[in-house]
Amino acid sequence: MGVADHCKDTFLELQRKKTHRYVIFKIDEKQKEVVVEKTGGAAESYDDFVASLPENDCRYAIYDFDFVTDENCQKSKIFFIAWSPSVSRIRAKMLYATSKDRFRRELDGIHYEIQATDPSEMDLEVLRDRAH
Amino acid sequence: MAELSETYACAPSTERGRGILISGDPKTNSIVYTNGRSVIIRRLDAPLEASIYGEHAYQATVARFSPNGEWVASADVSGTVRIWGRHGDRVLKNEFRVLSGRIDDLQWSPDGLRIVASGDGKGKSFVRAFMWDSGTNVGEFDGHSRRVLSCAFKPTRPFRIVTCGEDFLVNFYEGPPFKFKLSQREHSNFVNCVRFSPDGTKFISVSSDKKGIIYDGKTGEKIGELSMEDGHKGSIYAVSWSTDSKQVLTVSADKTAKIWEIMEDGNGKVKRTLASPGSGGLDDMLVGCLWQNDHLVTVSLGGMINIYSASHPDKMPTSFSGHMKSITALACTLQSAEKVILSSSYDGVIIQWIQSIGYGGRLVRKDNTQIKCFAAVEEELATAGFDNKVWRIPLNGDQCGNAEPVDVGSQPKDLNLAVQTPELALVSTDSEVIMLRGLQVVSTIKLGYGATASTISPDGSEAIVGGQDGKLHIYSIDGDSLKEEAVLEKHRGSITVIRYSPDASMFASADANREAVVWDRVSREVKLKNMLYHSARINCLAWSPDSHLIATGSLDTCVIIYEVDKPASSRITIKGAHLGGVYGLTFSDENSVVSAGEDACVRVWRLVQ
Repeated sequence: MGVADHCKDTFLELQRKKTHRYVIFKIDEKQKEVVVEKTGGAAESYDDFVASLPENDCRYAIYDFDFVTDENCQKSKIFFIAWSPSVSRIRAKMLYATSKDRFRRELDGIHYEIQATDPSEMDLEVLRDRAH
Repeated sequence: MAELSETYACAPSTERGRGILISGDPKTNSIVYTNGRSVIIRRLDAPLEASIYGEHAYQATVARFSPNGEWVASADVSGTVRIWGRHGDRVLKNEFRVLSGRIDDLQWSPDGLRIVASGDGKGKSFVRAFMWDSGTNVGEFDGHSRRVLSCAFKPTRPFRIVTCGEDFLVNFYEGPPFKFKLSQREHSNFVNCVRFSPDGTKFISVSSDKKGIIYDGKTGEKIGELSMEDGHKGSIYAVSWSTDSKQVLTVSADKTAKIWEIMEDGNGKVKRTLASPGSGGLDDMLVGCLWQNDHLVTVSLGGMINIYSASHPDKMPTSFSGHMKSITALACTLQSAEKVILSSSYDGVIIQWIQSIGYGGRLVRKDNTQIKCFAAVEEELATAGFDNKVWRIPLNGDQCGNAEPVDVGSQPKDLNLAVQTPELALVSTDSEVIMLRGLQVVSTIKLGYGATASTISPDGSEAIVGGQDGKLHIYSIDGDSLKEEAVLEKHRGSITVIRYSPDASMFASADANREAVVWDRVSREVKLKNMLYHSARINCLAWSPDSHLIATGSLDTCVIIYEVDKPASSRITIKGAHLGGVYGLTFSDENSVVSAGEDACVRVWRLVQ
């Protein structure tokens, strides 16, 4: 499984220049590589991000989560979300599961990883609990 | 956010042929009793505030306040005693496995340092006394060969413990460390309860042989008995002393409570008999009593708690009750223009509750059948139980009119009334759907699938049946027949409940796979999905009267309230609403959700934005 170059570039843009709020990656079966499917502008919300994920198919996604800690500092953490809904095809789930490690190695600088099999597992509350 | 505004607590669980022991705290005027796995503390002057402790893993049997009122010791059928703080977080101080069988009675020593517990030891020790903080034994208690039903600690020094049981014996122990002193065999049947007078000079034992015997507190010798003249005509189940040690209250299976005056020579004479205000059936057998300050509290087999005033025993008692078994269905309806909440439990008891007042009365039905599901509209109630009948009961205020049964052929799984035309009812059984108009079965439609839930629209024009495979079948009602219009597939588990919104523009369905979905009625499109936040099957669903909010209750004890216009992630969760699962939900107005569950309590929650 290959990783297209612009995946890494888009990730760096999110990490360093903060141009995107989220990036959604898809595995292109014909090219046998991971490509960028969609990016969201910095002004978009978490709900927009959740709405962009397909209900019946798997994806990889990164989301830049801004929050305020207990000590009142503004922090920002990058979440890697392996979206693998239970209603999707088994073939898709297997494909995304086996390629995940290879892909993650390319993205250096992810703080937290979440695996979600339905929308309740990637609820904003879950992100808030994990980030500190 | 949702906050608890009222709790309609359950009644003490009772058992025929045995007394129950309730106790209280005279300083805060509260009583404590048990039901199922919960220990309930209620204030006599504010019956709507009940605090419930649900940490026992087994059925709880008896609970007592410590003499200083700070701790509660509660015991259960596994022989475990838990000592926890009464206020705040109910911090557990200690937990001891005291006996190998159920514990029937428990008492603190007057200095709060020792606890004596008695019960069924299954061959090993039947009674144990131990230090409250370390659990070390403070005596050897032999002398009993059968279950020890009650025990008591002398409230003044020198300390004595007295126990009584099914072997007809009353045993007297001196200590600490406690040793057997003597045994009395005055009774000819089970000795149900033994209690010391508050001044410690005497103790009394009451028995199923209808006698009460009074003994000297220090030596254990018999000094007198309760006079047989005007005495009880049935087993005496419990006894309680007045604070001045001159009177006792006894309750019996003959449905009366008697106040006796104990004279100096140790004999007792009936001073007054309190007849219970009930209808005189089996449920009025009195099984528990407590004399606290000026209040005489009696508990009947049916779970009714009556509070008489000791200084004015002629006054009608205040009575309240609750459910004793888990609640299976809940509805909110108007009754003589007042809003009442009706809850029913599977043993067939239907209780009316009025908001901010509490117990509104039990609906007395002529035939007490068990109830599995029920539907209520303004003047009528329809119930279905575990037989093949559906009963329609007209309601006239508090009274039920004559119930009319309709035989539907097999056991109903779900029952619904069309709100605007209540004569039309839809009953779904395992393989059929039956339409009723009044008491006539107008049509029976065989379904090709196993039906698990059904509903009928408020105007009676549409019906939806949910199947075991998760599919929703929509039928239009044409006169007396049903025509299938559409099949909706989205759920991944068998459908548990379907409900139309009050304005009939939407309907919501929930399944056993923890998911709920809101659909638009006309287009049959999904309106709100991803309502997947429960962790166990969804049992019930309710719409708010303005159709903006929807609440789901589940076996995982949570109630989640969603707003139809907002995404499912913005929701209000009420965790731990009912120990054991939430089985009934309804909205009483725009901002209040009423829930009922396995713990036999009904709770009203106020939604604060």
